[in-house]
Amino acid sequence: MSKINELFKGKPNVINVGIESFKEDLAKQGAEVIHLEWTPPGRGNHALIAALDKFENPAIMQKIEEANKLAVERIINSHPILIGYDQAINCVPGMTKKTILHAGPPITWEKMNGPMKGAVTGALVFEGLAKDLEEAAELAASGEITFAPCHEHNCVGSMAGVTSASMFMHIVENKTYGNIAYTNLSEQLAKILRMGANDQSVIDRLIWMRDVFGPILRDAMKLNPEGIDLRLMLAQALHMGDECHNRNVAGTTLLIQALTPYILQTDYTIEQKKEVFDFVASSDYFSGPTWMAMAKCALDAAHGIENSTIVTTMARNGVEFGIRVSGMPGNTWFTGPAQKVVGPMFAGYKPEDSGLDIGDSAITETYGFGGFAMATAPAIVALVGGTVEDAIGFSTKMKEITTTQNPNVTIPLLDFMGLPTGIDVRKVVQTGIMPVINTAIAHKEAGIGMIGAGITYPPVEAFEKAMLALNENIH
Amino acid sequence: MLVQALIKPNTYFDSVSLMSLSTKANQIDGVEQAIIAMGTEMNKEVMKNVGLMTPEVEEAGASDLIIVVKAETEELFENAFLSINELFTKRDSGKKGKSDIKYSTISSAVENNPDANLAIIAVNGAYAAREARKALENNLNVMMFSDNVSVEDEIALKNLAHEKGLLMMGPDCGTAIIGNTALCFANAVRKGDIGIVGASGTGSQEVSVRIHEFGGGITQLIGTGGRDLKEEVGGIMMLDGIQALEDDEETKVIVLVSKPPAPSVEEKVLAKIKTCKKPVVVWFIGGDEEKITAAGGHFAKMSKEAALKAVLLAGADESKLNKRALNIPLIEDVRTKLKPEQRYIRGLFSGGTLCDEAMHAAMEKFDNAYSNIARNPEYRLKDRYTSQEHTFIDFGDDEYTQGKPHPMIDPSTRLDRFMQEAKDPSVGVIVMDFVLGYGAHEDPVGAFLPAIMEAKLLAEQEGRHLEIIGYVLGTELDPQDYEEQINKLLAAGVTHASSSQNAGLLAREFVVKGE
Amino acid sequence: MLKTVSGDVEFLQKLNSSKFTGSVHSTFNRTFNIKCHQNGELYTIACRNVDNGPNTLIIDVDNIRPMEIAVNDQVFTKKNILHIGNKLAISFKNVNKWVSVVPGYPSNEEILNQNLKKLKKFIDIHGKSGGIKKHELPNSLFEAKMSSMLELRTNLLLDELAEDRMSSALEHAISIIGLGPGLTPSGDDFLVGLFTSFSMLNGPFYGRRSFCEDVVSKAKTLTNDISWMALQKASTGKVRESIILLLNALLGENEADLFLSLNKVLNIGSSSGTDIALGLVGGLEANIKAGGKVYVSTSID
Repeated sequence: MSKINELFKGKPNVINVGIESFKEDLAKQGAEVIHLEWTPPGRGNHALIAALDKFENPAIMQKIEEANKLAVERIINSHPILIGYDQAINCVPGMTKKTILHAGPPITWEKMNGPMKGAVTGALVFEGLAKDLEEAAELAASGEITFAPCHEHNCVGSMAGVTSASMFMHIVENKTYGNIAYTNLSEQLAKILRMGANDQSVIDRLIWMRDVFGPILRDAMKLNPEGIDLRLMLAQALHMGDECHNRNVAGTTLLIQALTPYILQTDYTIEQKKEVFDFVASSDYFSGPTWMAMAKCALDAAHGIENSTIVTTMARNGVEFGIRVSGMPGNTWFTGPAQKVVGPMFAGYKPEDSGLDIGDSAITETYGFGGFAMATAPAIVALVGGTVEDAIGFSTKMKEITTTQNPNVTIPLLDFMGLPTGIDVRKVVQTGIMPVINTAIAHKEAGIGMIGAGITYPPVEAFEKAMLALNENIH
Repeated sequence: MLVQALIKPNTYFDSVSLMSLSTKANQIDGVEQAIIAMGTEMNKEVMKNVGLMTPEVEEAGASDLIIVVKAETEELFENAFLSINELFTKRDSGKKGKSDIKYSTISSAVENNPDANLAIIAVNGAYAAREARKALENNLNVMMFSDNVSVEDEIALKNLAHEKGLLMMGPDCGTAIIGNTALCFANAVRKGDIGIVGASGTGSQEVSVRIHEFGGGITQLIGTGGRDLKEEVGGIMMLDGIQALEDDEETKVIVLVSKPPAPSVEEKVLAKIKTCKKPVVVWFIGGDEEKITAAGGHFAKMSKEAALKAVLLAGADESKLNKRALNIPLIEDVRTKLKPEQRYIRGLFSGGTLCDEAMHAAMEKFDNAYSNIARNPEYRLKDRYTSQEHTFIDFGDDEYTQGKPHPMIDPSTRLDRFMQEAKDPSVGVIVMDFVLGYGAHEDPVGAFLPAIMEAKLLAEQEGRHLEIIGYVLGTELDPQDYEEQINKLLAAGVTHASSSQNAGLLAREFVVKGE
Repeated sequence: MLKTVSGDVEFLQKLNSSKFTGSVHSTFNRTFNIKCHQNGELYTIACRNVDNGPNTLIIDVDNIRPMEIAVNDQVFTKKNILHIGNKLAISFKNVNKWVSVVPGYPSNEEILNQNLKKLKKFIDIHGKSGGIKKHELPNSLFEAKMSSMLELRTNLLLDELAEDRMSSALEHAISIIGLGPGLTPSGDDFLVGLFTSFSMLNGPFYGRRSFCEDVVSKAKTLTNDISWMALQKASTGKVRESIILLLNALLGENEADLFLSLNKVLNIGSSSGTDIALGLVGGLEANIKAGGKVYVSTSID
């Protein structure tokens, strides 16, 4: 029997696109009907629609689908292990004493926003390259300092992401594919370098982290030849109510629990060890960077696959939001203006105090947790100004722009649905649905720090530019 | 200790909920005692006995829910009532049903609802083809309401649908009935054994409604979109539609509704009719009887005739049908009322085919019938705002709908024109259609009543008779009240035509002179 | 479209034979009520886990809430389909028809007597307090007062009935209408149980059914629509299936049946089931006591 004659057998089961009253009439007649939340693809831009159409040509589509399948397989199969900690100069590829890594796509000193400038000058003072902030600013502007995105050095950096030579880094190795990713240590608290704060207390903390905290973690992990399985730990943390971007209480507990036996066996004094535990206990954020490095490690393994339209990086430098796409190898960035972050502020701050969206932490959403896994963390939906129902909605909506679900990391509340994995540029452009990002809000001025948390979205331009570039590249 | 009450009028909660609400209310900080009960006389009596009476409670009725709280301070009350209200509203927000889950793309909607088998596409024409293609690729039949889709896209979509064995109804298809369900603009008609394939929406609606009135019923009504029978498209959907109805066990008779096809397409359709195992009634408005009969088709000149032939072929007993012959005494009566100068028909239609049919009826007796949809350019209206002699206007045509909804939904353009015609002393009769059914205006006659009354009064003051013919296209099963619509017309002194065919013929006969 | 599993034969006849329109009167998790525009009566649509009852259709669904039916949604029928706004369409073709049939009064009261004893014991342990059954420790003065009023008035009512003093019984019956917690106040529930015992063919009170009608006629303004409807139906021997099954079990000798069917009744509402059961018990006991005093007609017609 033809599909037409099958249709004739009973009431139609309808998908309604466009005029909503048709849906109501159908429902009145007892027919099953779904009304699509439809917007014109590519915001109605003809070049984008033409590109979408081209990618639907069966031969091209098959190429893309195959490439994307490979890309998401690599994301899912990646098995990042925390294997140690060390100073950036000792482990990060291309790191020099005068290199400053920062979050997001490339940016020059002049264009950096307040918090990032604050972090850069603080780092230069911390490294002893300048005696004070003023001198640091001059040095930064002099051209003597090499600025580069963390992402271009296998790193990620939260908020300003400023990383200098002597800072201690997580070292995360991909057991499946062998690549390594790095990120520096959480400074805990609010008034910190990565948020743009740079007074003496901030520098002193960085020094302690360099001289005590980092070495203890390094030596502890030397005693743990197995390393720590971060993918497994991430899955556990999600089941314990974290989304591992804005809520890290469970993940931090798990991580320090895994580190503690080795920390205890190191040769440092009881006081120093106690300082470490007190420091970790002072903020839930301790494991935040760890998850970022974990995600970076998996996504780097999926970068550079010909014909793939999967997003491998989303990162912001406080001025621009940049993405990288697997099928556009190397450091090809597609950018648009960084957006405002909307969410509750700490007492005393107003929305106009906020800096624009900043940091590499959107790597967590690129992997599929953070905002994508909001349904795992009902405890913080109020923090991002929503309800539990909204949270569930975010996670299910992200399915619309991703390629598959990661069976290794699941969301209990959604019947153990896997993380929505593999953001597809085509789907973002087609549906107009933007990836949702949970993040912190930094003050727009240097030196103040974190003033709130909330959610934000990438600028659609970044995806549209990527789409047009892919259109040029895929034949 | 203070007592305050909150009354929720006509509020019903089941006892278990009331019990648990009451328990929770008593646990709210600062609440000494909270009582939640229905406001019956007896319950009020108890409250009085234990000192919980307030003026509000006194006022409450047996169907009202009373919440009485005893607490120390005003502030505590405020807090308590806030918390209690929260308890109540919390109960209301249950889990959302399946239909509330939102999907943005056809693919994801299909993935999550594998039983879906039809997509209705009603988006801006620039994007419609793309969505329709997605639907077909996901093995959905398509009804495309959108217009302004290129012929190339239409051909590509129809070829794709043909390959996949799917329906591609449209672009610009407003009417279909599938599985006894009206899609977009269609009437509620009985299920039966007659299938329709129609290139013109209101024509198909008219035939389906007449079949219903004759006691017959519809299996499926497949719309093809207005361009299907043009040379370029080649009648792909009509041919596939005929085939589908031939394959459909329930369908005994097939009716085709269209303007005359392009010659090459007509050939294909006639060839198809020839080999079709089921009887095919053909109403090609103004079509060629000889060719159709030669191909073994059953020719119908007008809509009612098409419906009648179909029900007879399906086995109806002719002697038992009320064929609604023209009311000859009425015609004579109207003719005597009209002055010699009242010579012209003005047809103001919301349905294109209804306009076409009335115009064709007039063209048989007059050679001065003009229309915005005339096929012969000589008879095309010169100015769309000015009528010429006998004028028939399809207000659904693009030039009248610029930026406005279709006249079946928004009567305003036609209303203005109606008043203009009513003032014209050369007008003998105004004929109008009022389309009911899904998608259409909820009270199309009602929207015209004030204007009709005004027009009638105006004519009377000027000492002439203004004859208005109204035709209500609908059935008693439609969402609007069919009979009420007719009664409204009759009450306003409008002559009610029982079919589109009769409306056209009556209008013509009223103004034919010298017979 | 949803299928109807079973339905009250009178409701089905009404749907099939005439125009039925109305609006949604009230909604709950497992049921919702429709107020009929033609006769003003309430009709109930219930989930499949609810028992049959007067003016009730049971539909093939577990929960009403997700449909988001709201008060004042318009209800109409078309082509054998009952439409609730555009939210729900219910087909009522090929439905199991249910009729409320109250069993006749037993010629020998021996078994009934024994069963009533067992029943009271069971309710004593498992029944829900708060209504007719007193709370050992009332939560509030209000509750304490209400319980004692209910106890006093139901006892007075039963005493008068046992003595066949109908006019003073009527007074006491009216005094408990609308009294008590819950959607259907406990006093009303008690009367529903009581009325059921009046509808037993050839029972001592069968000839006294006008008592029920008298109570109902006074009750209209004393309680809410939903509760009144149940009273009104019960006064003419139309009660929920679970009550009928319990009464049947009370007349039989199967103990398991008795407790199972009692349990079903006790699960109605919060304390409603217990109140109904106690009303039924009270009514049956009054029947037995009054048996000697009431003239029983043997030919009913």
